[in-house]
Parts: sequence; C-alpha cells; structure tokens
Amino acid sequence: MKYKGWLLPPKLRDFHEGRIWLKEYTPFSKKDIEKSINHKYFNVIEGIQKEPHLKCNRCHNDDPQQFTTFDCSKCQQPCVYCRHCLKMGRVSSCTQLMIWTGPRAIRTRKHSLKWAGQFTVHQQQAANEMLESVKAQRSHLLNAVCGAGKTELLFPTVHYALEQGLRVCIATPRTDVVLELYPRFQTVFPQTIIHALYGGSPKQEGYAQLVLATTHQLYRFERAFDVMIVDEADAFPYTFDETLQSAVQKAKSENAPILLVTATPSHKLLTQYQNESYSFIPKRYHNRPLPVPRFHSLWNYEKSLKRGKIPRKLKRWTEERLARKEPFLLFFPKVELMKIATPLFQLLDGSIMAVHAEDPDRKEKVLKLRHEEVPGLLTTTILERGITIKNVQVVVVGAESTIFTSSALIQIAGRVGRNADFSDGDVVFFHHGITIEMDDARTKILYYNK
Amino acid sequence: MNKIETLCLLCSQPLPSAISWEILLTKQFQSTICDRCSARFEYSSTATALYHYNDAMKDYLHHYKFLQDVALAKVFRQELHARLKYEKATIIPIPMHPTKQRERTFSHTEELLKAATIPFIQLLEKTTAETQSSKNREQRIQTAPLFRLKTGAYVEHKEYLLFDDIKTTGTTLQHATEILMNAGARNVKSFTLING
Repeated sequence: MKYKGWLLPPKLRDFHEGRIWLKEYTPFSKKDIEKSINHKYFNVIEGIQKEPHLKCNRCHNDDPQQFTTFDCSKCQQPCVYCRHCLKMGRVSSCTQLMIWTGPRAIRTRKHSLKWAGQFTVHQQQAANEMLESVKAQRSHLLNAVCGAGKTELLFPTVHYALEQGLRVCIATPRTDVVLELYPRFQTVFPQTIIHALYGGSPKQEGYAQLVLATTHQLYRFERAFDVMIVDEADAFPYTFDETLQSAVQKAKSENAPILLVTATPSHKLLTQYQNESYSFIPKRYHNRPLPVPRFHSLWNYEKSLKRGKIPRKLKRWTEERLARKEPFLLFFPKVELMKIATPLFQLLDGSIMAVHAEDPDRKEKVLKLRHEEVPGLLTTTILERGITIKNVQVVVVGAESTIFTSSALIQIAGRVGRNADFSDGDVVFFHHGITIEMDDARTKILYYNK
Repeated sequence: MNKIETLCLLCSQPLPSAISWEILLTKQFQSTICDRCSARFEYSSTATALYHYNDAMKDYLHHYKFLQDVALAKVFRQELHARLKYEKATIIPIPMHPTKQRERTFSHTEELLKAATIPFIQLLEKTTAETQSSKNREQRIQTAPLFRLKTGAYVEHKEYLLFDDIKTTGTTLQHATEILMNAGARNVKSFTLING
C-alpha cells in the first residue's frame, strides 16, 4: 500500500470507538479528524433529523416542546436545537455528529479477577444463571433484596465477558452509584482499564473495555457495548424518562444482552422476565433477615419544624443515636423542609450536615459519614440507594409523602444492617398518616424474610 | 421562538398553563419560568439595570451564553419589555465580534431585545475578538478601543441608549459611549440586564 503520509492516532480511535460525538467538541486536532473522515473512519450525520419528524440524533428526543428554533449566525438561516441534551454540548441543525466506523480498538483478553469472597448458595445460583444468560446472549433480570451483594454477583459475568473480548457497560441512573462502584471494580479488575463517566467526570486515558456510566452518559454512545448491565433499573429518572431507556438500547450492539439488576423491580419488568431469564435472591449475603421498618406517628411534623421545633419523638430518637455514637440518615421528602430542619438538628450536634441533589460537596459529606467524622446526615431521596455505611440507622420523616413510593421505602430500609457485624438496625418511618405505599413496603420486606 | 412554554425553561417543572384574562388583556407575555426560579433573581436597586448579579444569574448566563441555550432569551422578556417600551432614545445593543458571534451562533444582547419585542438599530462593530471577562480590572480599563462605527453608519444628534447583558467595570459601555459621542450623538445613556 502506498504511504499516505498520515497514520491514524491510536488515541483517536480508542476515544471515538462506540461514541457518537459532536464534531466541534472532539478533543483531537482538526487535521486528524478531517483525515479520518476522508478515510471513511467516521460516519458523519446531521445533529437534528427533520424527517419524518424532529428528532435529536444524539439523545433521540422527539418531543417538539424540547426543540427551539432561532436565527443562527453560523448557518445564516433558521436553526433548530435540542434542549433535552443541551448540557452535553448543543446539538443543532448545523452541527454534525460523528460515529466511528473505522478499525476497532485493540481489546486485551487478559483480565484478572482479584476477589476472594465466597458466595452463598442463593448468590451462587443467581450468578450462574446470569452467566448462562450472557453466554446465550439473552437478557436477564436479577431481583435481589437490598444488601444481597448484587455488585459481587456481577463479577463472574463481567469477568467472563471481558475475557471473551467483549465490551461491557454498567449503567445506572445515579451518579452516587457510579462513584461507589468505580473503586470497587478497580480493585477487583486491576488489569482492566475502567472508565467512570458521569456529569463532570474527569478526562480518562486509554480504551476502556469496561465502562461505568450514568444512564445519561449513554446518549453519547452508539452500538458500543456487547453486554449492557443496568444497575438500579427502577430508579428515578430512568423509569420516568423514556429517552434514557432508548439510550440503553442505542448504546448497545444489536444482539447484546441487557442485564437488569434491582431490589425493587416494577410489575412490568417482573411479568416481562419472570418466565424466562429471572433470578431472585430473597436473602442478604449474611443470611440475616432484613430490618423491618417501624411505623411511628409524627403528627404535624411540618408545622412543628417550621415553628423551629423538632418533634419530640424524632428528637429523642436522634439524641439516642448521638449518645450511642451510631451513624444515622434522616430522609426528608422535600429540600425546603430539610433546609428548615438542618439548623434545628445542628443545635443537637453542630457537626450534623445536610445533602441534596445539587450539593457540590455531596461526595465528601457521604465520605465523612462513612469515616465517622460526622454523626449523621439529613438527606433527600438521593441517598436512598447504592450507598453502604456500616451500622447506619435510618429515619424517614414524613413517610406518607408521595415521593416515598414503596420501592423508595424498601431501598431506604435496605441501607440498614448491610454489614455482617451489624446486621440489625433501626428503621423508623415517621408519618402523618399511613399510606398504602408504606404498608406495601413493609409487607414486601416481611415476605422476603419468610 | 414564539411557541408557548409548558415547562419552566430553567428547571423543567410544569408551568401553570392557564392563560389568565389579565395576561390577555394587558398584552403581557406568558411567563416562561416558574415562581420558584424567578424568586431566585434579585432586582437591582440602580436605575440602569434590572437585576443584581447573584448565583442564580451566574447559572442563567452560563446556560444562556456558554451552553448556547437561545430559548433563555425569553426569560426576562416581560421585565425588559416593560422597562424599555416607552424608551424615547434609540436603542443600540452592544455588538459582538463577527467571529465570536458565529462561534456562539447568536448575539445574546440582540436576542434579549428581540424576545422582548423592543426595536433596535446597530451602528457599532466590535474590533477585537478578545473577551472582557478574560481580563482583570486594570487590563480592562487600559484596553485599546473596543468598537468603531460601522461603515456607512450615520450617528444623528440625538439620544441613544446602549444595551448590554451585564456591567462589571463599565469599560465596554464607556468605550461605546465615547465612539458615539465623538460621532455627534447628543447624549448616550446605558442600560443593562444585570449589574455586576
């Protein structure tokens, strides 16, 4: 072959393989990109598809409300852009998206699994079933109670897939879960390049055969993964935002199996999978029963907090935890209410802190609780899943609020007693009236314990 | 740009949709943000700006200018319209450098006025593609002329009102004022959306 005077930079290939990327936002030089396009290494498509109806080619949003038309100074004509995925860099009619079609990145088959843990009988069975499903390229639902050791269960399957030279993605709706999983996978797969992708994640080098990402980040991938694992498949906003579900479909290759992992599957998911590929783990890894939530009335708690008083029962519970030096989480239905309550709780102990979704320090605050630097945290539902803190005790304030669905309540109760040394703990639902969702959560937990 | 918003442009919460008689009869614009978001903005105490710079404004400018969300030009249209509809002076928005404007794909000052249906003309053009926000106070004050008259522009002996999104040290507005005054304007006032 004649020397063409240009060699494809491996870094460019490693980055762009599997990604659908705005041409203007590529981290590589214009020259290399142009050369790659000339070599037909990229399929270049328009950002917004106009026919048959408006659709964003990156996030597949097609809700007309989410598009805006304006007079563009770049293309000198009316231009449409998608507001749905705006934060990832604006996609408009006059921007182009590039999809890698060139040579594939080199995938190593050497992946060691450094994990010495032991599976329980239930876990082993589920792990085997899951592995079988992946081998048969069949989608699978894993339903396991909180603290059943779902993450560990994934190890054999992920290891098998990596050794087969497959590219694996573990997606979850929550950034906190990505942050929690990343170090764990890094220690277990020391030879594997793993990338953790979430809003604001740092730049990471190399070709990652294992990607941990929030479901939002999957907008940026297309037919990239040979195995797609969705952790916490029932969490907000995944079930709520249909484009996230289509993103999961779009980010995997056509025949790639999807493995759904959750403690609280929706009815729809259950009926879809129950008869074919379905594993169920009713017991925690330490075989101790799940803590059953206690219901306590806390009449007019909102009024009382607004008047600057912590309701008596809640105050007594908190003081007890402080006295026994047990870490605790207090879940609130609304940020506003939590902000009113925070200074009141700080009167009991000055180092008590509060976290909510937009808190820039939320990572650090959770770490502080884990390292016992703060006695407890006030939080909204963002910490309802994915976090593990030794010997934590939990209270839900206003468990009757609509935001606390039965699955949210089961998840919250599931924070308690995850450690084998502290398998028991207190879960209290303080309420202003018992709802069906609360009853449902309790019934399900009691059922799992049978 | 004329579509009716059903979700808050800033937080995507559903907006109370019903068009009230008051809005219809007083020819007001439909609100595009929810009450909670609008409460985060602080009105300015000065007569030459609408708002005071705060965290909410910082977010807003980031989304509008950096993330290029042109739709956000509509957020302040009612307030801008009310403030400028009886303005007798000719309104001139601060122009962007053509290269910068192509990069951003829109002129943020013009879009704000367009959304508020305020008529304006353009007599100036920007000489450099440098941004003010990249310089410190001393550099800003000692900078070379930022504007010149557009070729063929005719400055009448009357009052002009310069419009910009934000005023920090006032260097930009001062430069533009000087050019217009030297070209024969009777008086030049300025008005900004935000006071830094």
